[in-house]
Amino acid sequence: MSMYSTALIDRSEPPLLTVENLQTSFFTDKETIRAVDAISFDVHRGETVGIVGESGSGKSVTARSIMGLIDSPGRVVGGSVRFRDGDTVERLAEQYPDRTIDIEALRTEHDVADCIERLLDQGVSPARLTGREESRAGIDPVELVREDVVTMRSLVEDGFTDQLGITEEDAFVVRDTDGGYVDTTRASEDAFRKLRGQGIAMIFQDPLTSLNPVYTVGNQIKEAIRLHQGLRGNAAHEEAIRLLEAVSIPDAHRRVGEYPHEFSGGMRQRAVIAMALACKPELLICDEPTTALDVTIQAQILELLTEIQAERDLSIVFITHDMGVIAEISDQVNVMYAGELVEKAPVDELFDAPKHPYTQGLLESIPGRHPEDDRLRTIEGDVPTPNEQPTFCRFAPRCPEAFDACEAVHPENVDVSEDAQTHTAACLLYPEELSTADTVDRHRSLGETRDADRGDHDE
Amino acid sequence: MSRWRYFIRRLVLAVPVVFFAMSLVFIVIRMGPRDPVAAALGQNQNPELAHRMRVQLGIINPDGSPVPLWDQYIEFMVDLVTLSFGQTWVINRGAGVLDLILARAPVTIWLGFWSVLIALLIGIPLGFYAGLRPNSMPDYFASFSGIVWRAMPNFWLAIILSRFLVNTEGLSYDLIGVQLSWSAFLVETNVIGTPDLGNLGDPMALLAAIKWILPAAIVLGSASMGNEMRIGRTAVLETINSDYVETARAKGLGRRVIVWKHVFRNALIPLVPVISSEAFVLIGGSVLVEYVFALNGLGKLTFEAIRQGDLALAGALLFVFAIFLQVVNILQDLLYTVIDPRIGYEQS
Repeated sequence: MSMYSTALIDRSEPPLLTVENLQTSFFTDKETIRAVDAISFDVHRGETVGIVGESGSGKSVTARSIMGLIDSPGRVVGGSVRFRDGDTVERLAEQYPDRTIDIEALRTEHDVADCIERLLDQGVSPARLTGREESRAGIDPVELVREDVVTMRSLVEDGFTDQLGITEEDAFVVRDTDGGYVDTTRASEDAFRKLRGQGIAMIFQDPLTSLNPVYTVGNQIKEAIRLHQGLRGNAAHEEAIRLLEAVSIPDAHRRVGEYPHEFSGGMRQRAVIAMALACKPELLICDEPTTALDVTIQAQILELLTEIQAERDLSIVFITHDMGVIAEISDQVNVMYAGELVEKAPVDELFDAPKHPYTQGLLESIPGRHPEDDRLRTIEGDVPTPNEQPTFCRFAPRCPEAFDACEAVHPENVDVSEDAQTHTAACLLYPEELSTADTVDRHRSLGETRDADRGDHDE
Repeated sequence: MSRWRYFIRRLVLAVPVVFFAMSLVFIVIRMGPRDPVAAALGQNQNPELAHRMRVQLGIINPDGSPVPLWDQYIEFMVDLVTLSFGQTWVINRGAGVLDLILARAPVTIWLGFWSVLIALLIGIPLGFYAGLRPNSMPDYFASFSGIVWRAMPNFWLAIILSRFLVNTEGLSYDLIGVQLSWSAFLVETNVIGTPDLGNLGDPMALLAAIKWILPAAIVLGSASMGNEMRIGRTAVLETINSDYVETARAKGLGRRVIVWKHVFRNALIPLVPVISSEAFVLIGGSVLVEYVFALNGLGKLTFEAIRQGDLALAGALLFVFAIFLQVVNILQDLLYTVIDPRIGYEQS
């Protein structure tokens, strides 16, 4: 599978984008909707990461949270989104010196072991500091530092330096010897604007409505060119034409002066892509870019995206509910359900051996999978609204494999088997080597640790 | 079809509309119960004089036989097209209708200009401001005042406001113990009566003319102001939540560019018909407001012409209004074609 994917991805490098425990909630008078509930994933350079799920599973909110496009009554309430792009970090560090953390400076000023000591004294659990099972007594800060288990960088990334008061809480640019990162969840609206477009660009679902009807296509592309490439006048005009040609719009010289309503749906989506490319992004978030298009046009757009990705070494986060599209374009797939990540695997593995019952259901419901059936297979029921802290499996009511514990224990993301490095699922059936009783215990204890950490973090 | 061809077609279509409107006016005037001669001469009329007048009006031939309605109609329409409106019979008997209209028009234009301006300059900015800050205190304040302005009928507001302004001295003395006079404020003006528009080049005279017309203009513009505020707010809210604004944000555009470039122009589209429909309110309202504030303008003239049966004058005034409304409609379409490039294309 992954027929369009040709790029080689270097996974030894730190990922371009790290989403960690991202939580976005919408606060209405009636309830708090946890639209994105603690999800984590990475995007490497040149990689396409798919996010798939039914409508209402929180895919688009995830994308908008990364872009900082969540409006009231919604808010990103927790977690971090770390964008590691050297140019972006330098650019923002220059503009926001007061909100930049220089890790090199921190290293000379503070001793890491000393920091760990103080954190332990403040009651931070050792497991949270090190990311592995560890008891308070058996922990030796100096040892941890020597083994590189805890570094100044990891302390900053996990927000411990804020807790110690050695960094500002509103700092969002972190500069390090290897380039550092920008934590977008903490960025101000003003700073976000500098990050959007150049850095992270986004393509939306409906090309019919995502272009402003009263300005020409060229005008809207040039707007991005002026902003992110600094070109003006004729140079910007030429660049706009070049971009339209790059997305295979014929007769670009004439098209650049036309209005969106003079474009067909597929052409409009190409124009939107050209507009995103005008920003010269490192990461492109595509929110169901082919959903509103017919199948032939859809294939063309996917091909175009793959070409562009190969040309520019672009990372793509591709959101869709269409399993077929995911199979074609992505390298890595995240399956979302009711605001949570339920399964994560490389695309081949996910399609060959889906582990979570929800993923299995999604794959079963692809038309044409069971030609002998009279009717398409579906997953009975609807996605529930995630409006409370999960103490159970949100998929259990629709799950064919559900058992009693599913109602009482919240499944955590675990490796599906002991030797699986890249395939995780949030289901009480896994890891598959263990007996059901053992897996339930493992999930319960993981959940307890997480809750405990979240508890002391809130203070 | 290009937008300019669409616009020219629209221009040509205005001709039959005016034609049809005036035909209706003819029917209402000539077939109505009002006898123009009786209106002019009163109850005890000199039969000879009455006969001469009927001949002059083209109702009967000199030999006493009635002129066919069809011929009357053709004469009426030809007179309108050639702008020979004739003379008035009742009000200022003998004066040329055209001269009378031209003499009365400036006050009405002055009044209309300020009422539109007040509505535009207060209603739309306030609506846009509220739309950009939905559910905030300024929004609640603006929305509430918009409803209040809209809810006050202009005949009521006109009377209350004129009473209030006439009595400012007494009222302010009763309330705060100081005599504040609207008439003496800035420049000496009356509340009731017609302002002097003779020399607007002189700053003091201009100020006096503006101050004089302002209360009437506020009354006339109040409902439109409330309307524009509410529609403006909704339009901005709708636009700001649209996909292309999100795309513009995702591009990294600043809030100022998004609001001024992407939101405003789109939010203006639904406002265009609201603004142009003000013209209709203006004509209806000016009749009333001019009467209450005793402004000698076209509105008051129309009311008197119809009440007193001065049919030549009434017909000419209605013709002027019909032309005016057509011009406003065409201006509206012109604005549409300028603001929205989609206009004029057949949508399939």
